[in-house]
Amino acid sequence: MTIATISAWAIMPNDGGCKNLQDFFRKVEGYGRIGYSIGGTAPMGMPAEIRKLNKFILQPNVAFGADLIKPASEHWGVLAGIHFENKAMHIDATVKNYHMQVTQDGQSMEGVFSGKNDSHAVQWTFTIPIQAVYKFSDKWKLKFGPYFSYVTSCGFDGFAYDGYIRVNDPTGAKVLLGSEENERGNYDFKDDIRKVQWGMGVGVDYFFARRFGIYADLNWGLSGFFKSSFKTLDQTLYPIYGTIGIAYRFK
Amino acid sequence: MKFYNYKIAVTVALIVLTVISTSCFKDEPLNSECDIEKAWVHVSDLEANFYSPNDTLINVISTDDKIVFTMRDDADVTAFAPQFTITPGATITPASGSVHDFSNGPVTYTVTSQDGKWSRTYTVSCNRMAKYTTSVIDFDFEHYELDPSTHKFYVWHNTLPDGSLGDDWATGNYGFYIANSNSAPNEYPTFVLENGYDGHGVEFITRDTGPMGKTMGKPIAAGNLFLGKFNILSGLFQPLKATEFGIPFTQKPVRLSGYYQYSPSAPFTDKDFVVHPEHIDAGDIYSVLYINHDRTGSPLVLYGDNVLSSENIVAVARVNNVNETNGQWVHFDIEFEYKKEIDPELLANRGYNLTIVFSSSIEGANFEGAIGSMLKIDKVKLTCETKE
Repeated sequence: MTIATISAWAIMPNDGGCKNLQDFFRKVEGYGRIGYSIGGTAPMGMPAEIRKLNKFILQPNVAFGADLIKPASEHWGVLAGIHFENKAMHIDATVKNYHMQVTQDGQSMEGVFSGKNDSHAVQWTFTIPIQAVYKFSDKWKLKFGPYFSYVTSCGFDGFAYDGYIRVNDPTGAKVLLGSEENERGNYDFKDDIRKVQWGMGVGVDYFFARRFGIYADLNWGLSGFFKSSFKTLDQTLYPIYGTIGIAYRFK
Repeated sequence: MKFYNYKIAVTVALIVLTVISTSCFKDEPLNSECDIEKAWVHVSDLEANFYSPNDTLINVISTDDKIVFTMRDDADVTAFAPQFTITPGATITPASGSVHDFSNGPVTYTVTSQDGKWSRTYTVSCNRMAKYTTSVIDFDFEHYELDPSTHKFYVWHNTLPDGSLGDDWATGNYGFYIANSNSAPNEYPTFVLENGYDGHGVEFITRDTGPMGKTMGKPIAAGNLFLGKFNILSGLFQPLKATEFGIPFTQKPVRLSGYYQYSPSAPFTDKDFVVHPEHIDAGDIYSVLYINHDRTGSPLVLYGDNVLSSENIVAVARVNNVNETNGQWVHFDIEFEYKKEIDPELLANRGYNLTIVFSSSIEGANFEGAIGSMLKIDKVKLTCETKE
């Protein structure tokens, strides 16, 4: 089920394998998690072109997961797991001189936009974290390490409105955008989203009872949200999401 | 245990610091635009230099880089000091209000954006209006070029009375360009007809604006050509306002003639792209003369929604039933119907605007018509009353 188990199989000696495997699993701890994520798909460092965040609309970002922790010493251990989670955001921001390209079926409109922008991103992913675990006590654990995600379904779309575009560059034709549906500049970058992503995660578990605990994770994407061939936006966007939730120790 | 808590604290602090440092709003970027938005002039003797006070102020369209003050033919332009409203923060050289000699041709101004990264060059000229000496003005459509800024679609020039080329013909091609920037010049709604009735002509085809045009509620684009200006500024939500019909005209038009071919396509669709099989598309050819100011004297221009209905209209010449011509050139020769008397003094002082309009779909301004409907035009003549 996890990379830990697979690696365990791989390193297992042939003779007396069964016993070793039982040994191995006897000490492995198992956790189930359910949580809620909040965050954004955002540039590293806020570009000066983004002037104001008008709205931040909470999204149904549920996260389910199962982790195995193999203790390696009194304090240290290795975690591997599989999570299924949604990293979605819906924001409305005011921008100035923001370079963007509106594309639909082979035709595109490129320009520099000043006005308001409503963006909606969604991505359902299978994520495998591989983390070092440091146990302070039976209650507290700190986790740190990379994760790898495969995106199963995703979207990134929105519209520019209540402002104007300078076609191609700031010296091009000025075109006003309104707020009604046919007065906006719509965009959809669904096809440009990177399917395999990775990043670094850090988290804390706190078990207030033997089997029940709460957790908080921060997952910081280090691969761009879009494929590297995607040049529409000047900044590379990274999914950065924090998750809080309930953990259950089942083993 | 204390040691471990210290480590947690440091880790958490580092994460928080990273988040904060990357999410603060930066200082507002400087303006990167560099437009002349308005050009105007104060002259001590307005009457001696200008025909109309409205000619002293020019609202510059974002796509224009030529600013022309039209003045009396005996105006003194050796010490002329135009002033400019430019993008906030931008700079202009030579300075706004500086005095220049415009008698030797245009003066070039450069506007540089506040952030210093962009600049635009404008030519400002004083056109001491020459009068048409003939009563017949020919529009042969032989002077065209690819749009100098985009190089994507054709623009046409008219011949002015002094033989120079004017920029009085406009098309909606720029609107099509925005949604279809990858199209070739001959795939635009209005393009050059290689084999016209005589030399080159103009061809108009009602086009599919593609997926982007449809999401904007503009599924088709009729080919058009008109005397006036195309201002894309509010074209997305008020497309009828993008066509600013008419140029100041100082003669009394009598007849509009020329040659056309027409071939309607099917199916006829409305602005929601719904098919109306009972409708057959038709072309449109007309000319309108109107008073170019309101009762208070403020400038007035007719748009797509009132060019044929405004009470400022003085005369109209319209070709009835531009229908299927089976590949043959058809001659038209239409008399202007006058609804009001012409005021000769107002006419001489640029108080009237004239437009001539061609369209491949008669309801194209409302995005109704048939994709593929085709109009061809050539050898257009405007006959005016001969002065005694």
